Formats: sequence, C-alpha cells, structure tokens
Amino acid sequence: MKFGIFYELSVPRPFSRVNEWLTYHNALEQCRVADGLGFDHVWAVEHHFLEEYSHCPAPEVFLTAVAAQTQRIRVGHGAVVCVPEMNNPIRVAERAAALDIVSNGRLELGTARSSTWTELGGFCADPDDTKKTWDEFCRVIPRMWTDDDFGWEGARFEMPARNVIPKPFQEPHPPMWVTVTTPGTELDAAERGLGCLGVSAAPFAEQERRTKEYYRRVANCDPVGSFVNDQVHTLNFLYCHEDYRQAAALGLPMVGAFSMSNAHLYFTREAYPTRAYQTLGNAGAALRSRGAPNGSTPADDPSVAKGLPEGVGIGDPDHLVRTIRKWEDVGVNGINFLLNAMEMIPQEQVLDSLRLFATEVIPQFRTPAERAARVQAPTTIPDVGAPGALAPPTMPAEANR
Amino acid sequence: MISGTASVDELAIGAPEIVAFGTESVRLGGVTGLSLVAELRRPAREAVLPPGLHPIVPPAMSLSAWDVSESPWGAFSAAFVRVVCRSGARARTFCVGAAASSDDAVAGLRSQFGFPARRADVALRRHYDGVNVTVAPAGESDNGAAAGRGTGPMLELHALDPDPLSVGDLQHVGSMNLAHTPLGLRLVQVETHHEPSRVERLAARIEAFDAAAWGQPLLDPYWVVSCSVSLEDVEIPAIRFVCNPALPAAEGTERVQ
Repeated sequence: MKFGIFYELSVPRPFSRVNEWLTYHNALEQCRVADGLGFDHVWAVEHHFLEEYSHCPAPEVFLTAVAAQTQRIRVGHGAVVCVPEMNNPIRVAERAAALDIVSNGRLELGTARSSTWTELGGFCADPDDTKKTWDEFCRVIPRMWTDDDFGWEGARFEMPARNVIPKPFQEPHPPMWVTVTTPGTELDAAERGLGCLGVSAAPFAEQERRTKEYYRRVANCDPVGSFVNDQVHTLNFLYCHEDYRQAAALGLPMVGAFSMSNAHLYFTREAYPTRAYQTLGNAGAALRSRGAPNGSTPADDPSVAKGLPEGVGIGDPDHLVRTIRKWEDVGVNGINFLLNAMEMIPQEQVLDSLRLFATEVIPQFRTPAERAARVQAPTTIPDVGAPGALAPPTMPAEANR
Repeated sequence: MISGTASVDELAIGAPEIVAFGTESVRLGGVTGLSLVAELRRPAREAVLPPGLHPIVPPAMSLSAWDVSESPWGAFSAAFVRVVCRSGARARTFCVGAAASSDDAVAGLRSQFGFPARRADVALRRHYDGVNVTVAPAGESDNGAAAGRGTGPMLELHALDPDPLSVGDLQHVGSMNLAHTPLGLRLVQVETHHEPSRVERLAARIEAFDAAAWGQPLLDPYWVVSCSVSLEDVEIPAIRFVCNPALPAAEGTERVQ
C-alpha cells in the first residue's frame, strides 16, 4: 500500500493575498514533513477559477518547489487538463520532463479533462471534445518523451516533426495516470495502460467492482506509453488523533466543508447538455456515496449532506488501520489524502496528524524490506563525477572568427 | 461558502400563497420545452438569492419556456426566470419570475407550487431549424409595443441549428419558489419529472431581456452557455420539502408529506 498526500489548495473566504500565501506555504511545509515521514507521493491538481475549492492552476510550479525542498517523495502532477484551450500537449511534455529532471526522476503524470463548466467555459473549450482531446494527449505525450523525431496529424492536434526536449530523467518515461471521477473512466484507464487515480469517493462495494474490472482489462491492454502502470489509487481525507472523538470533531467539519465547496461548483452536465458528460463529476459521486445503504440516491431532501462516505480516513490509529485494510481488500494499492480544507485545521494539528499516522499506521502496511528501501532515493542519480563534468566543451577559439 | 444576501422581506413582496399543500401531482402532456442557461455578471451573484441558498461560480441563470398541449389547466404556455444555485449541497434554481398565458395556469402554478407567475403573452414556436420564444406583458405581444402602449418584450430569444442529443443528456434541476405557506414564508421545492422523447441542443441568442419586468433588475444574462429544446411529458409532483429562506438547508428544511 502506497500513501500519498493530495492538494487542491483550497482557500478560505474572505480571499486575501495572505490567505493564499498561507495555504501554499502550509502545504509546502506539510510536504517536507511527509517526505521525512515516509509518505510516497505528493499530488497537486490543476484547476482554474474554482474559488475556495481549489486555487491551484499551476501545479507544476508548486511541485517544483516541493521537489526542491524534499529528497525522496514522488511528485504527482495530477492531473494535467488535456484540453488544448488550457494546455498544448507539447508544453505539457516539456514542462513534465523538466520537472522530472529537477526532481531527480520523481515525477508521476496524471491526465484529466475537467468536469466543470466553470473551467471549460472560462477557456471557451467545447465540452463535446474533451474526451477526444484527452485521448489524443495521452497518446502523444509519451511519444514526445521517447521519440527524437516526433510529428503528429490527429483529430484534435497536429504538429510537424520536431525533437521535443528535454527528455524526462526516468527511463523510458514517468508513470502515467488518469483521474477517475465518473464510473467508466477506470475502463478508459485500463484500456490505455494508465494508472487509476481516483479522485472521488466511492463506497467499498462499488470500488471493489470497478477495481476488479480495471485489473481484468489492464492485463490485456494496449498501452499508450512504453509500459503499463497498473495501479489503483483512491482519494481520501486524513485526520488522525489518538482520541477518536477529537479526530471526528476536527476532521468531520473539514470533510463537510470540502464537500460543500465541491458541490457549489458549476458542473458541465448541469450547464451544457452533452453526451460527453453523463454525471455531475465528483459532486454526484459524493452525494451517491451518502445514499441509502442499498446505494440508491437519497431522497431529494436538501438537508441530506451531513453524512459521510464510508471508509473515510478520520479517527484514531486503530480505526485507520482497519479502514485501510478494507481499502486494501477491495484492490486499492494506494491512498492519497487531503489533509485540510480551507485551512480549517490548524497547521500544527495537521502536522501532528501526519506524524501520528506515519508512526502508528503506515508501518502496519510495510514489510521490513519496504521500510528499509524507503530511505533510498527512488531513482538512481548518475555519477557525473566532479561538478562541471557534464558542462559542454569549450568552443574552439577559431569557431568565433 | 457564500450565501445569498437578498432581503427575505423584500423578496416576499408579492410572493404567491399556498393555502394548503396538495397531495396530487400535476401532469403536463405534449410539452415543448426550451431551456437556456446564461452566465450573469458578478454583482448579481449573492444579491439575488435569499440567505438560505448559495450561488454558484460563475453566477448563472436559466430561462425556460413550455408550450403545453394538455394539463388540468388546459393548454397554455409559460416561461420561467431562475437563478442557478445550491440548496445545501444540491443543485437547484431560485425562481425569480414566471409568466403564463392563461389565468388558470397562473392560478395553478401560484397556488399549488408557489411559482411567482403572472399573466403574460408567452409564445414558443418551434420551426424545422430552430425555436423562438417571446414573452410580452399581457395584451402587448402583437401590436401593443408598436403602438406605444408597452415598453417592449420581457423576453425574446432565438435558437437555431438543432443538434440531436440522447434523451438522457439533458439535466433538469429543481426550482425553489418563495411562497407564503401554511408553515410560513418558505422556499417551496418543486421537482419536475421529465419524460422526453426528443432532445436537441441549439445555438441561441437573447434578443431582449427586461430584467426589471421579471422582478429582478440585477439579472444580466450576458453570456449564453447552452440552449436545448425537448419534446416531453412533464410531471410536477406534490410538494414534499420546504426550506426556511433565511436558514441553510441543513437547518431550515421541513418535510411536508
């Protein structure tokens, strides 16, 4: 089981320069602590215009800072929005490769297509096209990373042949993922050999069904990259405290506030009738997960928003070990945690929660060999000898004549 | 989380009265329905909603129209102006204004479901290549404006180039209507059930929108997001929930049956 931390970078109202600064710098401190505690991943989303919910439109900048301030934790660019109005795939490949180099080969690249009208509409993107452009991005980016002479004439993207540089540090390239919000996207992931980066709550039974089908299909996939990344990670909240009641008292309001801010986004399906968006994104998933025990949608009672999805990572260490065992049993091999929302939990308590989780819970899911391996850098850095050994040769004096 | 800032007392002026909550649903047959979503400018975001509702980002409103062949109120046409919002975590709209072409429909919409309907000339005309909707104060739709008796249409929109969609591609969102009820002044939650047989998406343009005539001068639908038209039957179930307009849904919701 891998453990990660996941950032939307949600900012409380009233908005101020200081509030945004504090959110970013608290998150960076959490990353440094998590790195030292043995967490495996830091993920940062790409969202635009999502006031309060996510002030993280440039994750590559945040993750570069994370990479510079940490030693071994992997940095998850999760996920790049694969919509050309927002990102050109060449720029995605270039930026990601540069981040992989700067981080000494610690990059994971997530892909997504955005589920809100707030974002797609803001960039004047056509919701009908996003699944197609996502598919094309997934196919061209790994080839830009590995081919020295890459050109493409596709349905939504084309370019004459160029050598897209730099190449990523990892050979053959960083692992690729797709964020899974709506049921069925895990099948898209499986067919392309992409890791399944869950970003919405799903009950255990539904997660088990979807995970099982993912593994069945990914075993026979036609990967878009040079290798298959057959991992399933899910998203959760984390607030760990020795006293279960205290954990709930602080953690549950955080979950509620985060879920509420998510529900207040303007989802594409609501704004724009299209075949391409059949659900309300993770807002719909969150409401479904709070439904009746048989999985049905709760009644239209607008006060039903107070319950919690099952399997949430809030409680004392024993509770969290039991909860994570259930996730393990349904086939999940990684959990990424949101540590805070709108800075509701004071930073010192977030850090205490991280430390307690790392001390009491993570070791329950590690073998002695894994614990020993985690002190090593994940990617071997080349021995380049003395500083300057890789510097270009001095140009002969006659070349300047 | 932001909430509405409109004065409930001011919103309540002229609000419909529901003397008793009905127990029967109302079925509308042979409905041509048009729904247009447009973004609003930011000053309207909180100002048009009561404190019990929450605006979305970006602020948006919906303009919808029905041409109904069969109903307990006879054949009629109606139009609705609603602000997209959230009640708790749930997608809703807040009905700012409504108009219907017959007295019976106005009375039914007001007294059974709390729509702030008033009599107007409402026309929804569907052509092979588009749909036109016009709403004008009663008696002014034909020559009234031209003769100088009126101030122009309350709403005029044109939608062209229908593109077929699946019937499941259309999302309908419930309406919160402010009304005097046996429980007091409440937001009445109206959940319409739609059974479409045909759905099309169109490119639309709003030619005229008189916000003041709809009761909320701040509404400025400046950026059209989408427009769809459907052929459908519609059921309006009896009211099940109402909300105190001054309280968040988690605290102010009451079940009425």
